Amino acid sequence: MSTAMNRVMDAIDIETYIICATAAEGKTLALELGREMNLGDVDIMFEEFDGYGMRVRLRKYIYKPGARYEWLAAHVKA
Amino acid sequence: MAKILCVPLDPVHDVGIKIINAELAKHGHQTLLLQPDLPMETIVKRAAEGEYDFIMVSRTLGYGVAELLARFTDLLDAAGIRERSKVVIGGKPVTPELAAELGYDKGFGAQSTIDEVIAYVEGRELPKEAAGYTRTRRDIAGKYSYKFFDKEIESLLDSICDKLLAWADGKTSPGVERMKLRDAMLRETNPATFADLRARYNALCDRTITDANEHKILPKGVRVVSAGEREALATFLGTSTPYQPVRIQHNDAQPVVFKFLGSGCPVMDITHGKICERWGINGFLIINPSWEARYEGLIEGCLTHENDGTITSLENIRLMRESLDESTLLTVRAHRGLNTPETVLLAGEAGANLSKIDLVYGSLGAGTDPERISVDGIEAMRLCARYGMAFDIPGNDELSGVPSWKTLAGLLINVMLGKKLGAKAILKPLFCYGPHIVLNGQMKQNFVDYNTAKIYALRHIVDCPIWPGEPIAFMTQSEERIQSANTTSYHAALAATLGVDAITIASTDEAYSRGPICITSRIDTIRAVTDAFRFMGDAQIAPSAMAGVYTDEILTKIREVLREVEAKPTLHDAIYAGLLGSEEDGAYPGKFGSGTVTHLKE
Repeated sequence: MSTAMNRVMDAIDIETYIICATAAEGKTLALELGREMNLGDVDIMFEEFDGYGMRVRLRKYIYKPGARYEWLAAHVKA
Repeated sequence: MAKILCVPLDPVHDVGIKIINAELAKHGHQTLLLQPDLPMETIVKRAAEGEYDFIMVSRTLGYGVAELLARFTDLLDAAGIRERSKVVIGGKPVTPELAAELGYDKGFGAQSTIDEVIAYVEGRELPKEAAGYTRTRRDIAGKYSYKFFDKEIESLLDSICDKLLAWADGKTSPGVERMKLRDAMLRETNPATFADLRARYNALCDRTITDANEHKILPKGVRVVSAGEREALATFLGTSTPYQPVRIQHNDAQPVVFKFLGSGCPVMDITHGKICERWGINGFLIINPSWEARYEGLIEGCLTHENDGTITSLENIRLMRESLDESTLLTVRAHRGLNTPETVLLAGEAGANLSKIDLVYGSLGAGTDPERISVDGIEAMRLCARYGMAFDIPGNDELSGVPSWKTLAGLLINVMLGKKLGAKAILKPLFCYGPHIVLNGQMKQNFVDYNTAKIYALRHIVDCPIWPGEPIAFMTQSEERIQSANTTSYHAALAATLGVDAITIASTDEAYSRGPICITSRIDTIRAVTDAFRFMGDAQIAPSAMAGVYTDEILTKIREVLREVEAKPTLHDAIYAGLLGSEEDGAYPGKFGSGTVTHLKE
């Protein structure tokens, strides 16, 4: 079934700022955020704790190269 | 002649509609430009007073503006104006879909051109080539004479290359022999002769390669891209309607911009490539997997895998070449490994425009045995001459810690060798924060002077194209998106101001090593460089006086290195001796293919 998620070409990046007391807490919350957004395990690409919270860039690959891409499957002729 | 009412339906911003108004008037149309911030009812009243063919509205979108714009068309409807006037909306975020949704006859957005607006008013179809920017392919090497200005360096290079060619005369390698067999196979029509050639080719391959080509036992993780997938890709590309291509360069003097393609999957590469083309990228470098370079022989077929680097089979290169725009330059990496000549042959046969060869960097830092890459590289350069492909020479040995002058000396040896073999080389000095530079503090004050000095030094030596890479800003980028885009754009601005021919740019996830490059990160840096080129235009970045000091130092040390190299019997003796990068520097000769160079049979 075609879903919006299937149409993501390769990856979803999330950039946000998480209020937290420590960098370690920020990392834990960042990973939890991925799960709460139903993305499963996300990777923390970038993190920058500044004392108030943490600026993060998270990534979830929907399709890695070599996979069978659903966004392409829609163009297969019957 | 049309009668047009131009309406800045905006409290402040009216520059766009002013330009449209002036251009329409220049083309002989009767226009009336209203002042900004008039009440909507006043505008409708003015519109009703004239017999306008078009009412052109300009508005910056924001919160609540869509409702306002829809209300405007409702008022025009109620006044009966729409029966005689076409209503057009223009503004940066306007798309055709948004214009239709808001009830407008036509919409022009950030990508629209004045010519398009005028053609619409005049009821003309704008020829495709006139609708904004038309992509053209730039010949990077064409305008250069390859004349050496520095006579001492020319003389040293001459001697180094003559000795190398004399040494290589009568020698061959499995890589060269496979290339010859492949060349014959590509043209052979007799099945029996082909089978004989194939058997001889297989005899020169590693088991992994023959297993794949003869028994369809592919290396782990590799699979064939099915005919259905290729057909779906063609349908997807054929039915997509990309917007007018963006032009990265603000003027013709600014460098062409390349990106890497090497996701592991030709389908993903092509899709990324097509999107990048739309955003203005002028060329791509196909990066092959490191494992491919270590085997004797190349796997055939249209293949994909979840691994770094795309397999450079003839079928994969051809699919990429055929899918990308004709104007897009395509480079195939061949400078490392055991298949350099055959890779260049396949690149030439598939219609690639450039290849990548470097006899020095190709062997340094876990690369190919220097003797082997010498024999293979010479044959690869001959092939470049045969196919009319220029080749670029990556100076990435600097990233291992090799001082810039040793790297640049290595590049120059390749330039002279190419010249003797009839192939055009492209110098690729690094625009980076290299380890040796860090240790010596040459970028303590700024990133401008030392990068500038490398270009100045090369320009002092030879009239040859320069393509800083690879990618520019290497070692200055982080996983942070904005920082990464910014630093790329600053280096691009410097490259533009130095008038180089091309640059390779990374993506904003280049420094992220735990997964493949994604399309949004590719577009990030393209946008950043487009803005940098627009910002710079034909202006210049002024280096400090230290750029001259560094230039003199680099030139002096290049001469010293070349004198030492020239004193050795051959180039590979100099490489083994560490003259172009020593173990102390962080570079050492590669061992792949060691002992495989043989004498040609009489």
